[in-house]
Amino acid sequence: MKDSAKSVTPLAASSIPCTINGHEASLNVPPAKRLLHVLRDDLAMTGAKRSCEIGRCGACMVMVDGVPVNSCLTMAYQCSGKSITTIEGVSAQAGGIDPIQRAFLEEGGFQCGYCTPGMIISVKALLDHNPDPTSLEIEEALSGNICRCTGYGGIKRAVQKAIEWRKEAYESESIRD
Amino acid sequence: MLLNKKGSGARWRVRPDGPDKVTGKLAYLTDMTAPDMLIGRVLRSPHAHARITAIRTEHAAALDGVHAVITHKDVPGLNRFGIAHPDQPVLCEDRVRYVGDAVAAVAADTLEIAEHALRLIEVDYEPLPIVEDAEYALTDEAPQLHPQGNLLHRNGFQRGDIAAGFDSCAHVVEETYYTPRQMHTYMETEGGLFIPGEDGRLTVYSPTQHGFMDRMQLARILAIPQSEIRIVSSPIGGSFGGKDELNVQPYGALLARITKRPVKLHNSRWESVRAGLKRHPMKITMKTGVDDSGRLIAHQVRIIADTGPYATLGAEVLNFAVEHVIGPYRYEHLDVEGFSVYTNNGMSGEFRGFGGNQAIFALEGQFDRLAEKLGMDPWELRLRNMRRSDDPGPFDQPIALTEGAKQVSAAMTSSPLWQERSNPAAKAAQDEPWIRTGIGAAFTMHGAGLGFGIPDPAGGRLTLAADGKIEAVFGYEEFGQGLIASLEQMLIEQFGFASGDIRIVIGDTDIVPESGSTTASRATSMMWKSLQNLRPLFEDAVLGKAADILQLPASRLRFGEGGVYAIEASPEPDNPKCLMTYPALAAACWEPVTSSTQFHFPTSDTQKVGAHFLYTYSAVAVKVEVNQLTGRVRVLHQYHAVAAGPVINPQGFLGQIEGGSSMAIGFALTEDAVMSGGQYLTKNLDTYLVPTIAEHRGTIDVQPIEELPEEDNYGPRGIGEVGSVTLAPAIAAAIYDAVGVRVTKLPIDSELLLAQSFDSFLDKAVSGE
Amino acid sequence: MAANAQGVAEAPFVWHPATAEEAWQLKATLGAEGVFTAGGTLLRTQWESGLAAMPNHLIDIGAIQELHGPRTDSEIGTVCFGAMTTLSEIRTSPLVNASFPLLTEAARSIAAPSIRNLATIGGNVLSIVGDSIPALLVYDPVLHWHDGSSGLEESLSEWLSTAAVHPVWKERLLLSVALTPPTLNSNTKRFVAYHKVGRRDAFTPSVVTAAFSIQLDSDNRLGDVRLALGGGQTIPHRLETVEQFLTGKPADKKTITEVYSMILEHYEPKGDAFVPVSYRKKAAANLIASELWKAAK
Repeated sequence: MKDSAKSVTPLAASSIPCTINGHEASLNVPPAKRLLHVLRDDLAMTGAKRSCEIGRCGACMVMVDGVPVNSCLTMAYQCSGKSITTIEGVSAQAGGIDPIQRAFLEEGGFQCGYCTPGMIISVKALLDHNPDPTSLEIEEALSGNICRCTGYGGIKRAVQKAIEWRKEAYESESIRD
Repeated sequence: MLLNKKGSGARWRVRPDGPDKVTGKLAYLTDMTAPDMLIGRVLRSPHAHARITAIRTEHAAALDGVHAVITHKDVPGLNRFGIAHPDQPVLCEDRVRYVGDAVAAVAADTLEIAEHALRLIEVDYEPLPIVEDAEYALTDEAPQLHPQGNLLHRNGFQRGDIAAGFDSCAHVVEETYYTPRQMHTYMETEGGLFIPGEDGRLTVYSPTQHGFMDRMQLARILAIPQSEIRIVSSPIGGSFGGKDELNVQPYGALLARITKRPVKLHNSRWESVRAGLKRHPMKITMKTGVDDSGRLIAHQVRIIADTGPYATLGAEVLNFAVEHVIGPYRYEHLDVEGFSVYTNNGMSGEFRGFGGNQAIFALEGQFDRLAEKLGMDPWELRLRNMRRSDDPGPFDQPIALTEGAKQVSAAMTSSPLWQERSNPAAKAAQDEPWIRTGIGAAFTMHGAGLGFGIPDPAGGRLTLAADGKIEAVFGYEEFGQGLIASLEQMLIEQFGFASGDIRIVIGDTDIVPESGSTTASRATSMMWKSLQNLRPLFEDAVLGKAADILQLPASRLRFGEGGVYAIEASPEPDNPKCLMTYPALAAACWEPVTSSTQFHFPTSDTQKVGAHFLYTYSAVAVKVEVNQLTGRVRVLHQYHAVAAGPVINPQGFLGQIEGGSSMAIGFALTEDAVMSGGQYLTKNLDTYLVPTIAEHRGTIDVQPIEELPEEDNYGPRGIGEVGSVTLAPAIAAAIYDAVGVRVTKLPIDSELLLAQSFDSFLDKAVSGE
Repeated sequence: MAANAQGVAEAPFVWHPATAEEAWQLKATLGAEGVFTAGGTLLRTQWESGLAAMPNHLIDIGAIQELHGPRTDSEIGTVCFGAMTTLSEIRTSPLVNASFPLLTEAARSIAAPSIRNLATIGGNVLSIVGDSIPALLVYDPVLHWHDGSSGLEESLSEWLSTAAVHPVWKERLLLSVALTPPTLNSNTKRFVAYHKVGRRDAFTPSVVTAAFSIQLDSDNRLGDVRLALGGGQTIPHRLETVEQFLTGKPADKKTITEVYSMILEHYEPKGDAFVPVSYRKKAAANLIASELWKAAK
């Protein structure tokens, strides 16, 4: 091997530092292992769901540094130094249930529930960056999340409700300030 | 009143299974693991049709980490499965008939080892000529796939003299309709965990729509008594009919029994596609004639259904299609014949709508074409020929008296969306003349229950459990439709319990009674009927006990939130007093108090197998936009009038119609599991395209019609399927309204809708010559 | 015997070179055993579908600083997009939208946001049929490669013309794509459009992708015509014959009719099992004609 290449060390199975739902973690997994399987098999966190495994359904969506990514497409090494938030983390961060989750409950934004964790991650990532999205922006943000049960009606109503609640919460906070 | 959250008030409830779903806490059966668990994988045929001359498993079995490699030789009982007609090999012996056929299965320490072991299994195949086309399959020259030939099932219905009927017609329309191989695309692929107990019993944690049917089939395969198997089958990440039949269960059960270790299987999407069921592709030819006033005279139909290599419910789906190509109309002469045909394509089987989707697309298309010939409004033609409330059913069988047809028609025609049609405001946008809109409508009478001649048991039980919970125990499954929520809502509204008083138990064959399958839009009806039966029994039993303890007449007691209350003679006070809580009552009773009921889904007094007795009616109007540059169709607004008796669960009702119609959008516009040479070309969701949120830009208005005839005691009709069957023909009608093109094949080919040339747009506002 | 020794696919080694030179050296050493990876989204689809085997070595180029982000590096507004620039960065960049609006639109139409957070412009280009390519082709794109020596520049069109048949580029490392915005002459109006037509309204494989950019002067004459078409397995390309024909022509009915016919005649897309060639031609002709119609209106 040439000199310059020698200086680079490959990662076979090594320790990958990252943060998962606010907790520092060190992933001792093969570096090309998919985050989806790391979460489900190594960490026993099954909120991210296995479905198409090629990024076409969104059931395995998680946030990495605040933006949504398909955990089935993300390899462990790509998480190095990153902050990962799963559906479990969204609930925990909110101390039980996030307003977005509550909106899905109240509006009936789910049926079988298998797409729901991924859907909620995408909604959260959207509203964290854009608290008042247009319907076209909502459509773009959720275009990678397939729901086979609801026909998206309840989901769209839940997103609208969540926007409303977040606005109200923001306004009441502003008044207090 | 349109169905929505606001109008539903307190009846719009948070689903009891909701909190765990939105937080990701809910463990689906495919999320489960067990200590010492092995991973199972199935080796499936690469060929659509081949003879197996040898299977060698030695290398795979010798691989470190492999605990079992099984073939047909390891199946102790019947090496076949199939709900209605068991002809699908669990593990093929000497022949494979489709690319999903299982040849061997492996249990290993890890998925990687299991997959490597599959590659080490050597199977010698001699490819055989394949049968790709269902009509060709019926010819003498086609290879025969089964000893009895390629015809799984033939069914028909005749009335009058069809030839004489056509002779007297003023107008006849003849057309052939084609429908796609639609995939259920449940988000959770098939899988489960199979745990052999120390007592020798096997526990199966795997989704199905009928736990007891799985138990019976698995007992038959394993050659053990049914009592040796426990099936836990809910919650389920979507099914839509697709998980009613066995899928991974035989392999998990066999591997767990042989290795004496827990075994988990979970199909990849590609394995789900190749092995799983699809909607039957159908070719439906219709010849329909009317007199010059538009009265239907003669209707001749030929259905060819591609059922794939094995039976499952292919015959039953065909029966349903035969009934629904007749539908809610009056004819003098009828001649319907249908063929369900074996091919080497993918497996076809049960799927929401159950043959109705295909039949109704064709039938409603005929009305639109006949109306055009008559120069008549298409809805006027339907009204002229629509069944009367006391008419017999499509097969001339007695059915429950119903005003449903008239009700949904009246609602739909007075909807703002349909009214908009008579206002010919510019169909094309000024700034984009190639965008054209149109409005269409269609009509459905969709059967519920399995129909005459098929065992269709129902029942359930209520128990005041030792801990004071009111336990509602039913053999039904929750696959997202909201069954648990509907049951809870009925218990609250009909009995007066609080949600905290109730424990719902479903989906476990060790505990639940046989309630029949959770299919055919039947579960809500059957739960309602069960509770109707149970209420006097349970009141007698539980309030009787309370009466003894409280020293009050039982007739003066009632159920309420948290416990038993006195029935007040005068208006109820604002804070009625609970006389005894359920836990206190349970403690005082010493043992649980149980009432149970068993009965049968109501059937018609007929001899025609599959004929229904109860129907749900729907009329749908839809507005679409066609882009003539691209031929792409966008569904804008939908209006669904649904006559299905009382709305049990408003959120569930709305969700079923919205979700069902979404599947119909896919059926009409984007979905087809394309096959060539018996191989799937659509292997995953990158090419098999189900609707995204972008396909649902429009609004959906749902108008439930709850009134039933006075003597009707059948309660709510099913609404699980009806939303999925009526929209496609309405879209086709709306497309014709928009651009004057008749659609005969789904999903709609965009090329047909392209502008023939660009010249027609040039006259609009382009300056200069 | 250990499972691995019998050939169970071992997890690949992943290398993280810090410089383009290191990355290139690794690739030179590993040969076919090593594959450059950026977002990895397309590779994963290929591995899962069995179109390609997972290699023994992945060369992660994510740590190479010079591959990240867009850089404006000349007075004429040329912008160099590092190969690792994600499609999301492009989608949301005001700079991109101001100078290369078609690229913004293209990024919006590729996959879904979650994939665009991983997928890169380099990966989309190197797929040869990526939906960013028709948009890029409008902006005189130049590819910069590291090839172990002094570096290599070639136009995107030139590379596309042989990329599918001569895979020598697979030994090189794509560093960046440089784009130059068209200049607007005085007294002219520019019309631009990007269309992607699929079998579904969102998150769809492309059937027809069209990028369109023209200037219209005060005499209603067309100039600086740039048309690119692609979609599906069709390698995107500029329609030079049509562009030349249109240059200097008036934006009127006759021109539109002629262009429509020319596209039907000259555009040769590839069909597939889902959509035939005939549709692709007609839809492409319609889309280009419609944009001229809008300009002429």
